[in-house]
Amino acid sequence: MKLVIPAVVFAMIWAAVTGSLSPLNVILGFLLGLLALWLIRRDFAGNRTAFRPLRLLALAALFVKELALSAWRVAVLVASPRMALRPGIFAFPLTVDRDIEITLLANLITLTPGTLSVDVSDDRRFLYVHALDCSDPVATRRDIADGFERKILEALR
Amino acid sequence: MTAHTIVLAASSFALFMMCVAFFLTAWRVIKGPTLPDRIVALDMLVAIAIGFLAVVAIKTGFNLYVDIAISLGLVGFLATVALARFVLSQGMPEDDRDPLASPAARGARLPEQRRKRSPAKRKGR
Amino acid sequence: MDILLALVVAVLLVVGGLFALLAAIGIVRLPDVYTRMHAASKAGTVGSSLMLVAAGLHSGEFATFARAFAGVVFFILTAPVAAHLVAKAAHQAGYRLSRGAVCDDMRDKAKN
Repeated sequence: MKLVIPAVVFAMIWAAVTGSLSPLNVILGFLLGLLALWLIRRDFAGNRTAFRPLRLLALAALFVKELALSAWRVAVLVASPRMALRPGIFAFPLTVDRDIEITLLANLITLTPGTLSVDVSDDRRFLYVHALDCSDPVATRRDIADGFERKILEALR
Repeated sequence: MTAHTIVLAASSFALFMMCVAFFLTAWRVIKGPTLPDRIVALDMLVAIAIGFLAVVAIKTGFNLYVDIAISLGLVGFLATVALARFVLSQGMPEDDRDPLASPAARGARLPEQRRKRSPAKRKGR
Repeated sequence: MDILLALVVAVLLVVGGLFALLAAIGIVRLPDVYTRMHAASKAGTVGSSLMLVAAGLHSGEFATFARAFAGVVFFILTAPVAAHLVAKAAHQAGYRLSRGAVCDDMRDKAKN
């Protein structure tokens, strides 16, 4: 039953992508979505993720905004005649602990200007982040913790 | 200045940009001192090819090219993941062990630097 | 209306082309794998995404635009994953940061 609501969303996306709203096509999309969700059913069994569409949408908007900003920053850096680089890898202590949250945070960090997540430590307490400008890791850590990590916690908990 | 001329001019400009980008990236694939450099450059080549396909879709008016671009993106992602897994499982290949191979070490051919590199090599296995 | 759409498509194409070019310049100019990855995963993705959106808009069909948009979402979701995997693999295989690097917490931890 938990699969049905996402499957309806999938059916709508299917209708949009194939460009036809005929009932048969929508039913086909629904069945395909159900099949796809059934294949990954174990990944969201017992994992009670709060579903807040508006917060998720805000997160997606943040995602796109950060991507545009970071692409711009990288472009400016590359185009400047003398590249002022102080690259390095610093450890970021995680407060989020579930798989989906760590994945989201790692993706967001990669899309932030000048940072790229490299690895999660085995005990899942640290995220290693490569930064183009690693001269002040403390400030970067604080930015991530106050910005993305809080937003993710707001959206998913 | 009709709408058609504007789009045609813009797509020609974009094609030119992509051509330059393609050759620069291909140079990095050929030159790129280490294997991960080549993987990153190949990933970039896929992105450039997607851009090419999008421009061709606009120029010719065949919307099928958009679908081709999407499937190329899927395949490119899988290829990058497979190559990354290859590096992960095989460790550093023999060619990359030369201290002269990486630009990082080119300026640092001091004996103590070399000794520092060796534990990392063994760890890589 | 027609000319407005054409202008939007043209701007997207030009900006996308510029981003792709800058990403390629970054791949050539930056000193090591990790910094090159910044250029490829951000500027490169944005470049091809903008062009795909331009193609979708130019077609004038909703279905094609939806497909192009779905493709863009897919690229934006997978680019960080691919970069992350390559960076992790390179670091585990023992590839070092370039000489200008100021800190490497990951290596410090591996040593202990």
